[in-house]
Amino acid sequence: MILKTTNLSKKYQHKDGVVNALNNVSFEVNEGDFVTITGASGSGKTTLLLSLAGLIKTTSGQIQINGFEVTTASDRKLSDFRMMHIGFVMQSFALIPYLTAIENVMLPLAISKLKKNQKYEKALDLLKLVGLENRKNHLPQELSAGQQQRVAIARALVNSPSLILADEPTGNLDPSLSTDILNLLKKINREEKITILMVTHSPLAAEFGNLKIKLSEGELENEPKGHNNKI
Amino acid sequence: MNIRKLVWLEFKQHKSQLISGLLAITLGIAVIVGIRSISVVSEKAVAVNLDNLGANILVLPQASNVDNYYSADIDSPTIPEEYVERIVSSNLEGVDNLSPKLTRRVKIGNENVVLTGILPKNEVASKPLWQKSGLLGNETKASCAPSNTANKSNGYEDEKLKRKVIDSLGTNECLVGSAIASKLKLSDGGKVEILGEKFKVTRVLTETGTIDDDRIFIHLHRAQELLKIPNQVSAIEIMGCCNAISDGLLSKLRNVLPDTKITTIGQIVSTQIQTNKMMNKVSLIFLIIIIFVGGISIGNFMWANINERRKEIGMLRMIGFNKTVIYRMILSKALVLGIIGGIVGYFLGTLAGMWLGPQLAGLPVKPIASLMGVSLAISVGVSLLGALIPSYLAGRIDPFKNMQEV
Repeated sequence: MILKTTNLSKKYQHKDGVVNALNNVSFEVNEGDFVTITGASGSGKTTLLLSLAGLIKTTSGQIQINGFEVTTASDRKLSDFRMMHIGFVMQSFALIPYLTAIENVMLPLAISKLKKNQKYEKALDLLKLVGLENRKNHLPQELSAGQQQRVAIARALVNSPSLILADEPTGNLDPSLSTDILNLLKKINREEKITILMVTHSPLAAEFGNLKIKLSEGELENEPKGHNNKI
Repeated sequence: MNIRKLVWLEFKQHKSQLISGLLAITLGIAVIVGIRSISVVSEKAVAVNLDNLGANILVLPQASNVDNYYSADIDSPTIPEEYVERIVSSNLEGVDNLSPKLTRRVKIGNENVVLTGILPKNEVASKPLWQKSGLLGNETKASCAPSNTANKSNGYEDEKLKRKVIDSLGTNECLVGSAIASKLKLSDGGKVEILGEKFKVTRVLTETGTIDDDRIFIHLHRAQELLKIPNQVSAIEIMGCCNAISDGLLSKLRNVLPDTKITTIGQIVSTQIQTNKMMNKVSLIFLIIIIFVGGISIGNFMWANINERRKEIGMLRMIGFNKTVIYRMILSKALVLGIIGGIVGYFLGTLAGMWLGPQLAGLPVKPIASLMGVSLAISVGVSLLGALIPSYLAGRIDPFKNMQEV
């Protein structure tokens, strides 16, 4: 088991009252799983993803990733944990516009102790993995949306994470590019044995997961479906 | 890829912002350096003027005539030699050099000569109190008056200054002013009879254009003996530090020696001293302005830059850059801004000083290397200060701003 949430709840104070963004969410994910999280807008999908990464504080409950207690860790420890164990893929790609493709991929290594050429070689290998080695010196605006997302995926892999958190990775892509990206994520999941948690509203994308979680108004709508997992 | 490179690449991306962010601090530094370059030269010029004129304070008996500063001690009444020790023991700040003198007109052959008794430098050893204070016979301190190099660079002959510090003077030795040496046909090593005693001419002094050219200097105590005025002096010359004079050294001296007349050449240099003081004040005002305006300007620039990069900083936080790394990035940028502002400001200010110095103060201004350090320290300090709050706020940017809320 790589990830376990226990009675995870997140409440927001709103002028109209308390909003239960997450309510007693418990599930487990095994190493190598490809988990898809679906649900309507406002169902708590992104809140769950942010909570798992320690980017927002939950109201109650526990999150354990690789034995690391996320909910009680300090900001600094969480940063270090994210740097070493988690890769992120976002809908908006979140590439730095003034860095080339290879510089964007190397970005998480900026504070690592690796040598300059080791960082470069690692980033280049990943650009090869996502099929963009010939675009390494291109700026994001010189790349297509699909290519930008591939660079973002390479960046998510550069620290050899055990878990990738993907938030609508195909949300800005047309259907054919979406399939390419989903296939790439699946390939990484299968070949690199990296666990992936992907938030999506696309039924097509949801089919790529071996474990499917559906949220409704902050609660698990159904027991996660898939092998080797339980609530 | 490392933090330094990331900061540098971001700099390159926002070159125009960089220039506007640097404008206030660079101009502020340039003004400070410009004013300081001129005022330093001006202060040196005042000090050199004082040196070339000799001692700048004279302590005379109350009844003395001070119409002519340089002949005020001639044939004047006398005061006790013990007054010198009274000045020394009062430990007044700014008294750099003391020289008691006994002066009388005497006849040598058919020539009227001004005979002046002085104490040579080696007399210091016999007066521990004076030696401890470092006053008698010492060269004027560098903090107050220029070094020999400075004198030479300003075109002044160091030889003129040497007359004030006589290393040794035997009881039968004398120093002869150039004019009287010419009249009496005396040269180095020659002999001269003064009041019935034979003296050896150890040196003929260089022409100064003052009454000193007509003087013969002998040992003070020998002069007291020959003139039959024991333990008395006509005047005490004091080399007072320029700034100390303006800070009330004269009134302090008057308190120590209330029954004397204390005069100064301050009037001659007062205008220049006033100008220097004004320039120093203006420098200080600009320093205060630059701390506020420069700091606010840098802070504003940094905050605008951080706001523009909120998503980027949020993403960095998300992928694992902790707050310290974010602070480091922002403060590194401020450091680079400070260094650039300091260097550019120094060169602009120096060029402005070199151009304006001769026109405004009539003085040639040269670059002052030490001001580079001062410029950098001020610029970097102000820049870091201005960036403190923005860097703190940058560390608080929500990392999840990049995530798509569904």
